[in-house]
Amino acid sequence: MQAVAQLAVDEALRAGADYADARVQRLSMEELAMRDGSLVGADAPESFGLGVRVLKDGAWGFAAAPGNHKDLAEVAPGLARRAVKTGRDLGRLRRTPVELAPQEGQVGEWHTPVEEDPFRVSLEEKLGLMRQADESMCGRDEIVSRVVNLSLRREEQWQASSDGARLHQVLVRTGAGLAATASAHGVVERRSYPASFSGNQISGGFEVVRAMDLPGNGGRMRDEAADLCSAPLCPEGVRTLILGGSQLCLQIHESVGHPTELDRVLGHEMDLAGASFATRNHLRTLDYGSSCVNLQADSTLSGGLDTRGWDDDCVPSGSWPIVQEGVFKGYQTNREVASAVDEDKSRGCSRAESWYDPPIVRITNLSLQPGNMSFDEMLADTEDGAIFADSVRTWSIDQRRVNFQFTCEVAREIQGGRLGRLLRRPTYQGNTTSFWGSCDAICSAEYFHLWGIATCGKGNPMQVAEMTHGAAPSRFREVQFIQ
Amino acid sequence: MTLLSADHALEVCQALVDASPADETEVTLQSEEDRFARFSPEGPSQNADRERHELSIRVRLHTEAGWKEARATVGTLEEEDARAALGRAMALAGATPPDPDRLPLAGAVEIPGSAPHRPTQDHSFREKAEWIEAAMSRCAQAELSPAGLARTTVYTRTLINSAGRVAEGALSRAHFSLTASPIDGSGDAGVAEQTHCDVARIDVDEVISRAVDRGARGRNPKPIAAQEYTVVLEPLAVSSLMLFLSYKGLGAEELHFKASPLVGRIGERIFPGDLQLHDDAGYADHPGWRFDGEGTPRSRVALISDGAFGLPVTDARWAQILDLPDTGHSAPQPSSNGPAPENLVLAAGNESIEQLISGVDNGLLISQFHYTNLMEPRDMILTGMTRGGTFQIQGGEVTDPVCNLRFTQSLVEALKQVTGIGRRQEIVGALFDGNIVCPALRLDGFRFTSTTEI
Repeated sequence: MQAVAQLAVDEALRAGADYADARVQRLSMEELAMRDGSLVGADAPESFGLGVRVLKDGAWGFAAAPGNHKDLAEVAPGLARRAVKTGRDLGRLRRTPVELAPQEGQVGEWHTPVEEDPFRVSLEEKLGLMRQADESMCGRDEIVSRVVNLSLRREEQWQASSDGARLHQVLVRTGAGLAATASAHGVVERRSYPASFSGNQISGGFEVVRAMDLPGNGGRMRDEAADLCSAPLCPEGVRTLILGGSQLCLQIHESVGHPTELDRVLGHEMDLAGASFATRNHLRTLDYGSSCVNLQADSTLSGGLDTRGWDDDCVPSGSWPIVQEGVFKGYQTNREVASAVDEDKSRGCSRAESWYDPPIVRITNLSLQPGNMSFDEMLADTEDGAIFADSVRTWSIDQRRVNFQFTCEVAREIQGGRLGRLLRRPTYQGNTTSFWGSCDAICSAEYFHLWGIATCGKGNPMQVAEMTHGAAPSRFREVQFIQ
Repeated sequence: MTLLSADHALEVCQALVDASPADETEVTLQSEEDRFARFSPEGPSQNADRERHELSIRVRLHTEAGWKEARATVGTLEEEDARAALGRAMALAGATPPDPDRLPLAGAVEIPGSAPHRPTQDHSFREKAEWIEAAMSRCAQAELSPAGLARTTVYTRTLINSAGRVAEGALSRAHFSLTASPIDGSGDAGVAEQTHCDVARIDVDEVISRAVDRGARGRNPKPIAAQEYTVVLEPLAVSSLMLFLSYKGLGAEELHFKASPLVGRIGERIFPGDLQLHDDAGYADHPGWRFDGEGTPRSRVALISDGAFGLPVTDARWAQILDLPDTGHSAPQPSSNGPAPENLVLAAGNESIEQLISGVDNGLLISQFHYTNLMEPRDMILTGMTRGGTFQIQGGEVTDPVCNLRFTQSLVEALKQVTGIGRRQEIVGALFDGNIVCPALRLDGFRFTSTTEI
């Protein structure tokens, strides 16, 4: 397949391309979904194809088609010529030609470290584990739906570029989760473990699922969902908020990840996803958060869903600060946009959903660095009436990534330095920099966990990408709650 | 060209049904040709000419305890790959527990014929470049920064099962959108878009004029308090709200699990009588797939009529569980997703947009909502931000642009407060998936809960 990618690049250059890259990709997945003990989803999709991207007359051209080991070599030259023609047909409209940050041709292999190949674990064992998880949620009349998900993904990619890149990567991600939905007193409430929306996903093998201990946590989710139906609504007003890690994951993603994608700042995503308040004049000067807020981008992070050897521009992975001691320090870039902030190299954030899609700038793994408090110390240090909230229920943020409103699955009121009564539908809203500026404590590394986002949508037509946000519970002051 | 002739697609599917050792087999082949040119301030930014297939095989094994079933999908038409997918589906089905609630596959049906619209399929990149050039030129004259999408896509889908069902059809889509933002950052952008099954029906000049007009008039917005307002929602804004009735709420499964606005409300006259919402895959200007994920013909379903919610949409399984007719709204099975309406059509009223505005003493004209999301399913409480042009209405006339606001509002309560319906329907979408055919609406008492600086 490496030869096929190279063939496409060579043909594109022969057809007049000024730059060319090609990705042959094979995606294999296994998706299992159990509801109320019955398997309602059992799918094993595969996809195999070639995407060729060129620069011609200063504009991008991209062409993609499916194939397999036998016929992609026949498909590749025609696709390369189509990509060049596409660039040629549109190049005259470019006000300035696309210019790529320099990158030496990389040659290498990268594989996700996997202890236990998830595709080799027997279906009987997987279904047995799901059944145990399902049964752990039985036993309360209020429960109207029990769902258990298991998801495996293997992505094998061969890349070549006219800069001399020749890369082969195998990425494996495994995930699982459960959710109990209760209905009582005219109220419907859901609790999910370990995270909302099909659970948590981590780069790695089946060891990821075993470590989750789904059956050991189903009973707690069942009880919390049922009890939430008779719990009071989380009150309105201004209060201290302690966010759990899985909710912080989304808070980081929406209010730091997306606004620091440089293509958004430059208007490339204005037609759908939107722009960013974090414009270039704010770089290295804007107080993004309080001094305890450090957010590090890291595409080498062990277990990260965007952990790989190279991105789809063939740029090696790396680690760099986005926010350091509260100050806005860096963007996520690809080779096309890096020079807009006077950087001579891309940060390696270029990714496509599959061989079918042209790469765009994506959030990489981005984590809130841990502080030095234990969770118990944080609770003891927090006044009565403060709120602990976790697990995403719904989310919304404006197109400039300033005004957000999130609702969590569950909250508990803090009383006497401990977690107290359950509160349902906690909804908080705020302004990005004010919110991060109000962060005054972060739990220590012992409480730091990785939370995967497997369905980040961006682009037009929309593409889905995966990334991880690490976080430990953190405290925010004077947060506005609404009902 | 990737699209297969109808005969070729039938041949590929039938060969797999014949080769399957399962007790029942269903094969679906979807092919797609897609050409798009996306543009941003510097010109065309992503230009793609692409094609793909999805060959999906559902196998079912009968046991005394019920059906065991699974699905496998492959992206090529090679026999070797298809046979491998069949093997994966068989292995998965063999390991699954039997489900006593599953029904046997259903047999022959009549599906209205459809074919790809050839001029839309053949629309070239040079023609798309003309659209983009016009948008860039008009934006430059108005000191606005352009971004948008010019796209044409055609799809074919064929479904065959071992019970004798054959369903086939095609969809065509042409789309042009423009977001025009003040170059100096002095306001929010103007937004407009059109989608149609016939590329010749895209009025590029109108899309450009609307977006440029809104972008130019939106400079220097003034702050406005977050409170309840009477609002006139243009079709793009209406789509962000109404599409949630497509994603969640009007299917039989949500009703069964009591996570639906239908709970306790079916047949209750709570909305204005002229608010009519249907699911209609046969709508002439925006036809959808005429059969569902199991090959069942999609019925036209009255979701809101005579001021009341109607019955939910169903699939074969949920129709049996709830003793309702099968309306043909199934996802491909097996699936954890219940039936859902995918082709919403909100009926037109009789007021022009100017008449809708003239009926507002103190309110807002809203072009679009951004990142709307569902907070609570029973009352359909939604939150989202205004975007793409928000203007104050005073004394029945549009006055100043205002800073964007966040709404937090029950959709059920909002629809009770509809006081005017536009006479012009548009085919529009939102940030998440799907399109709806809808007019503008005027609503009283729409609740805003916070604001931004732009």
